[in-house]
Amino acid sequence: MERNPIVQMKNVTKKIGPKTIIDDLTLDIYRGEVFGFLGPNGAGKTTTIRLMAGLIELTDGDILINGHSIQKNFEKAIAHVGGIIENPEMYKFMSGYDNLVHYARMFPEKISQERIDEVVRLVGMEKRIHEKVKSYSLGMRQRLGLAQALLHSPSLLILDEPTNGLDPAGIREVRNYLRNIAHEQNIAVFVSSHLLSEIQLMCDRVGIIQNGKLISVESVSNLVENREYVAVRIETEPVQKTYELLKQSYPDKKVTITDQAIQMEAKREDLPDINKLLVTNGIAVYEIMSNKGTLEEKFLEMTGGNIDV
Amino acid sequence: MFNMLNLIRNEHMKLFKQFSTWVMVGLLVLVLLIVGIATKYLADSQTSENWKMQLQAENQQLTEQKEQVPDIGKSHDVLEERIAINQYRIDHDIPPIENKTLWGFMNSATNLTSLVTLFTIVIAAGIVAGEFSWGTIKLLLIRPVSRSKILLSKFMTTLLFALYNLFILFISSFIFGAIFFGFEGKELPYLAFVDGEVVERNMITHILTLYGLNSVDLIMMVTFAFMISTVFRNRSLAVGLSIFLMFTGQQVVMLLSEYEWVKYILFANTNLSQYMNGQPLVEGMTMTFSITVLLVYFILFVTMSWTIFQRRDVAN
Repeated sequence: MERNPIVQMKNVTKKIGPKTIIDDLTLDIYRGEVFGFLGPNGAGKTTTIRLMAGLIELTDGDILINGHSIQKNFEKAIAHVGGIIENPEMYKFMSGYDNLVHYARMFPEKISQERIDEVVRLVGMEKRIHEKVKSYSLGMRQRLGLAQALLHSPSLLILDEPTNGLDPAGIREVRNYLRNIAHEQNIAVFVSSHLLSEIQLMCDRVGIIQNGKLISVESVSNLVENREYVAVRIETEPVQKTYELLKQSYPDKKVTITDQAIQMEAKREDLPDINKLLVTNGIAVYEIMSNKGTLEEKFLEMTGGNIDV
Repeated sequence: MFNMLNLIRNEHMKLFKQFSTWVMVGLLVLVLLIVGIATKYLADSQTSENWKMQLQAENQQLTEQKEQVPDIGKSHDVLEERIAINQYRIDHDIPPIENKTLWGFMNSATNLTSLVTLFTIVIAAGIVAGEFSWGTIKLLLIRPVSRSKILLSKFMTTLLFALYNLFILFISSFIFGAIFFGFEGKELPYLAFVDGEVVERNMITHILTLYGLNSVDLIMMVTFAFMISTVFRNRSLAVGLSIFLMFTGQQVVMLLSEYEWVKYILFANTNLSQYMNGQPLVEGMTMTFSITVLLVYFILFVTMSWTIFQRRDVAN
């Protein structure tokens, strides 16, 4: 399938004083995908989002949205973008509806009242949309934030922590909704999140950023499946003897005792051998459990344990 | 253009959905009402039936004063003007405007434009800084509208707020004046002294001129507050600094008035009525000079605001 990127980041660099916040980041994002952006605190996630939204100036490189430079042709580039930057901060002294009317007036093509009502329904805010934003919970503000981002039917949706403050049902709703609009309406959704499990469930591709550098871009399915080693938890009796035995047999592996059980890393095909070794040495094996590889572990592996959860 | 209209509508919506905005408008009317009541029930009548005699006595005094005081600058002109106007009143049977009349009240109500200035400074200080402190600036700026247009809509809304308040002040001073003092003496003209001659002017035109002159100071201080608000994104600093300068600026200029360079200070030029009655602060200052200085300051404030707002990284 021939796909044109909706966002092209080319050698994006942002320096503040002597400090390089974003270092030579190059990345394409396509229509129809949910792209997850992961990184520890201070890695440059929010800075990247601000650069994409034209809120801060690039030091070097360029960002094209639908072919228009966010620097040189801001109004054309941003017309295709809807977003929430950090928290969805609204005018608290106005109703949710007035907030939407406010943003709707800022587009060159008229956004009808029907369209406003439509997005209100979409985010499930019909009942309270005419109340002041001050009375809303964080979850409701998040929904209102989503509504303002969708008003003009953008082709790129940038969302900073979109499920923050939502209850589990709300999270699932938003997740399904985002996957839906990405895949069915061919919109690119760019999501940053610190909830790794969220990204795993929501996104098609994930980019990992650390210290301003993009260290990996992979599809989520690849990332989770292509792992050589898995973490194994072995419950035995006696534990100490097991520990010494495994230490002896696998001197190059890290073996620890936690919660009265053995933790170690092993290849999947090694597991029958480990079991055999323990049994022949008269150890009672109660359980051998290999953790399914999660994105979180992969992420920890890549960023060296510096994780923002 | 349509776009700009929508932006101004937005700014109006945000402004007037805030309770504090209405408090200010309400306060203006309330203060005016209190002044009205105080004038009616507490103040003494300054002039009586025999106002002609009083004016004659005053003129005698002024003439003596003129002989005693050496003619420095335009000090004699001021005295001559008052003498001429008083004489004109006596000759043409036009009594002075009393405080306890519609015109008198509307005249003194023009002093409340400084209250309008104060309130508009508060609005100017908050209209940009507020978006930053609320965090709404991020969602405001990611629209297909240039930053300069957004700033312009905010500046225009601020000036419109001042205009609405001046209008409310004018209308309510007319209403309160009519209720408290009736329409007696409504046919009396305003006497102006032009080129050595006394001319009769329409009173409403005169009052509107006073509003116009007071608006000069208003516009300059509000533009200053707007600039501070944009540059420092700090509401309190903008309010504090502007009000401090508004109250001390004139005094400082007075203190320094012996120096020639004082005429380049903003506050030496905001009071344009110095050219209409009385002498200018520094010898040789003219209306054209002051207007030029005011324009230079205005352009400076506006350029600062726009340049900084357009180039700023929004990262908080």
